[in-house]
Order: sequence, then structure tokens, then C-alpha cells
Amino acid sequence: METGFLRVLLNPGRFFEARMQDEPSLKIPALIALVIGLIGVVSAVLMANITIAMLPDEMQGLGVLITIFSAAIAFIGGLLVWVIYGFVFYLVSMVFKGSGDLKRTLEFTGYGLLPQVFGGIIGTFFTYQLLSGLTVPPMTSPEQIAEFSESLVSILTTDPLAQIAGLVSILFMIWSANIWVFGMKYARNLSTRDAVLTVGIPIGLYILYTLITLAGWL
Amino acid sequence: MKPLYLVIISLLCAVIAVAAPVSAAPADITVVSSSLDPPVLMKGDTGTLTVVIQNNGAETVAIKSARLYGSGVVPLSEPYPSVGEIGAGNSKTFTFTVRADGGEGTFYPQFVLDFRDGAGSLRYPVPVQVENTPLSASVIGKPDAFAAGRTAEITVRVGNPRPNAASGVQVIPQGTGFSATPTGGFIGALAPDASGTVVFNLTPTTETAVTFQVVWRNGINTHTADLVLPVAFGEDKRQADPIITNVEVAPVAGGYRIVGDVMNAGLESARSVLVTAGAPATPIDPFRVYVVGTLDPDDISSFEVTFKADATTTEIPVVVEYRDDDGNRYAATTMVGLGGTTAPLEERDGEFPVAGIVVVVLVALGIAGAIYYSWKRT
Repeated sequence: METGFLRVLLNPGRFFEARMQDEPSLKIPALIALVIGLIGVVSAVLMANITIAMLPDEMQGLGVLITIFSAAIAFIGGLLVWVIYGFVFYLVSMVFKGSGDLKRTLEFTGYGLLPQVFGGIIGTFFTYQLLSGLTVPPMTSPEQIAEFSESLVSILTTDPLAQIAGLVSILFMIWSANIWVFGMKYARNLSTRDAVLTVGIPIGLYILYTLITLAGWL
Repeated sequence: MKPLYLVIISLLCAVIAVAAPVSAAPADITVVSSSLDPPVLMKGDTGTLTVVIQNNGAETVAIKSARLYGSGVVPLSEPYPSVGEIGAGNSKTFTFTVRADGGEGTFYPQFVLDFRDGAGSLRYPVPVQVENTPLSASVIGKPDAFAAGRTAEITVRVGNPRPNAASGVQVIPQGTGFSATPTGGFIGALAPDASGTVVFNLTPTTETAVTFQVVWRNGINTHTADLVLPVAFGEDKRQADPIITNVEVAPVAGGYRIVGDVMNAGLESARSVLVTAGAPATPIDPFRVYVVGTLDPDDISSFEVTFKADATTTEIPVVVEYRDDDGNRYAATTMVGLGGTTAPLEERDGEFPVAGIVVVVLVALGIAGAIYYSWKRT
């Protein structure tokens, strides 16, 4: 329970305290981000299949390209999310006069993404359940495709299964935030209060936005 | 022999003296009136001809027989073979049953009185009018169009163009494929040039022809005349006309939702208005059927229906069912295109995914435990 990934998940304070003794390394955090990207690829391919089904017959040849492009975006997305979160925490912690280099911040942010691996797996399962029941009517015009895409978004945000998936992602995000609080405390040399604010403000806004979207208010 | 001749001559004179005043005055007998019941016959009718004679002289007149004969109007009853005497100033009535066997026109059957003792006879032509003009019937009120099961008010007017009155006039609708209330209308007597009306509530079930049979009596003779009213179904110009507008199609979990407005563009109220999705769509909860209620003319109401359809379905009918004031059911269909606006999901047994809730709860408990543990160990 006190070693490896379980230590990050269950005892992040001790884990990051120990990591502070070593030089910053982005290998494992990058690996975590890549795994998240790979999981995202599965969902992206599922969505790409829906997109391909919408295309007219003469455009079906674009299906492979769309799939590859979607998978690439999803794969890179894992890394992008990692970097974006790291920069956001680094910037917010500057308000609280945090000190510590960006590399350490990115390293601890990457470890904090570990719960997203489990969340991603469960989310992908829900996405599969959701999209497997989707039937795509034949469409012939770009207008129809645009309308279908809008309605697809509407469904993905209003379907009970999608809402459950959203709740699950929020729960795992809260778990990550908890790890990030400890990570920022050590990476940026913040007090516990400032670390909570550094992580809580952007993540709180993100969760609020997600909840509003799930409730259908947007 | 001479006295014998005298006796004979005397007796003859006596007889002549007694008999001469009686048979010597047939000219004093006159027909004072004649009448026919009914006053005007139709061909084939039987009537009663009454002739009244009067002795205007001062002496009694002996009548041997009375009879009637002629063509066109023929007597049916026996003649009076032995009439007898008619005193001075007295009158006597003779009644004959006659029948109009000829065509139309005025006939003159002869009334003949034969006097006794070769005193000659009296011939009197009795005018009898025969006219075949029947009562006329016409429909003076009916709806613009008939519809199956819809009650229509039919007004029938019966006129009497005949020169004599008609009695017992009634109108009886006949035929199949409809019901009528009342089953018959009674007008009664109709004077010449008079008319009467009867109103029927007619409810056809199929396209048919309704025969309004006018029955009347001319004296003791029953006659009929038919008025045929074709019943062809068509669109009533005043009937309710529900129109669907402002339609929006939106996908929902398990199917689609259509919201829109339904308006009554007709001139009559639409009652018990229901809106639902027709085949090939299958209505689903929560709005399998939307009950609008009564829509008066120019009224508008919003509606919402939910349904599911196959992926190959590009448009579905939205069915508006309504009733008229008589309870007859109608349906108006409007096709609504689904197009690419749809992304239906298969219905998950119509229930909220309980397993998902369980997963959420378990995840929440696990994460809460992890967070609690992480802070406890700090």
C-alpha cells in the first residue's frame, strides 16, 4: 500500500515528499499521460465510426483518414491535458507566491493524472454502451450532417448513461485534485490552504462547468 | 154491344184520368246537384259519384230505374233497377261507385233516369275530372357534404299541386346503408297549393341513395311519389380542420420528440383532439399520446409526442384524431420529416440504468475512502 502507484493514490503526501528528494523526472508522468491518451483513442475511434456512418457513400473513403486523425488527436490529447493542467497549476500557484520549477510541477501533475486512467476506462465503457445503441439515419447533405451532429451532442449530454459517465469523470477528477493538492504543496512549496486553492479554483470551475452541462443548462 | 163499348171506353177514360197526371210530367224532374268524392280522380282511382234529383212539379212522378254509364269513368256499382215514385217537391239521391279507367281529362258519364209507362227518360252528363298530377316533394335542406357516421339534417317539403286536397300525407325514408330519425314524418291533409315540411336526421354508413317516399290518399285511394336523394361522401366545408405547424423534431434517449402547435382552421369545433405518432413510428413514454381536448375554430394548442423509429425512417406521420359534435371520429395526418436531425438511441428497456448508479455509488465510496485515507496519513 505504501509503494508505487498505490502510494500515489492513497498516500500522495508521503509519496510527493519522498519524490522531492530526487531529481524531477517526467518519464513516468508522461507514461501515465500516454496511457490516458491510448484510452482516449478507443473512445475517439468509436466516435469516428459514428462520423463515418454519417458520411455519404462517395465520401466513405475518408473514413480511414478520419479514424487516424481522431485517434492521433486523442492520443496527443492525453499529453496536452497533462501539460495544460501543469501550466494552470503553475500559474495559479504564482498568485500564492509559490516557488519551485515548472518541471517539478509537471511531474507531480502527471502523477495526479493516475486516477484518470481508471476514470478513462470506465468512461470508455460508458461511451461504448452509449454509442453502440446509436443508429445513424442515411444522410445526403451537409446540412443534415450538421443537424445530426448537433442532435448527437444533445443526446450525449442528456442521456442518463452519459450523465452517469459525467458523474464518474467528476468523481475521478476530484480524486486527481486531491493528489494535485499534495503535489502542488510540495512542488510549489505552498501551504495546504494555498495548495487547495491552487488546485481547487481551476478544478472547481471545471467541475461546475461539467455539472451545468450535464444538467442541460447550456 | 154498344153499352159494352161505352163501359170499356169509360174505364179507359177513367184509367187515363187517374194515370195521366202521374206520367204526364217527367219534365219536372231535374238533377239539382252532383258531386264526386274525391272531387278529382287520378287514373285508377275509385270514387263515389252522388246525383241528387228533385221533382219540381206539382204531381208525383214514377221512375222506373236509374243508372250510370259511360267510358273513361265507369261505374262499378249496380244500377238502381226500381226507383219508384218521387213526390212533388221531393228529392232523391243516387250514389254510384265509379273508377277512372281512362286517361286524364274531364269525362262525362251519363246519369239516366227511365220513367215509367214509356214516359221517356232523363239523361244527365255528370262531369268527372281526372288528373294524374302527383304531390311534389323536394329536399330544401341538406348538408354540403355527407360523411360516414355523421348525422345530417335533411328537410323535405311536400307540396300539393293538385286541384283537390290530399289527406294522410306522410314521408317515409327508404333504402339501406343509413338510419333516419324519425323513421317517418306525418304531414296530414294538404289543401291545394299548400305544402308541409318534414325534418329527418339522416346518418349514412355507406354511400347510398335515400328514397323519400311520399304517401297520400286521394279519397280512399292511396298514392305514392318517390324523391331520391343520392348520398355521396365528401368533404364538409365547415368541418374542423386541424393543422399542425411550428414543428420541431428533437432526439431524445431512445427515440425522438416532436413539439409543435395544432390549430383548428375549420369552422366547427374539433372535440377530443388527440395527437400521436403514426406508423412506422412507435409511440414511447412519456408522451405516447398528447390529449389536446376541444379545439374551437381558430383555437391553437401546443403538443408534444415521443416515439421511436427505425434508422431508415426519414419521415413519420403525426396523426391528429378528433371528433365532431355527433361523436364521429376523424383523423388528419401530417408528415413530419426526421431527416438528419435525428440520432436515436436504442431504448434501454425504458428504465434508468440502475447498474450505472451502482457504479457511481461504488466509485464515489472508493474515492471518498481514498481521499480520507490520504489526509489521515498526512
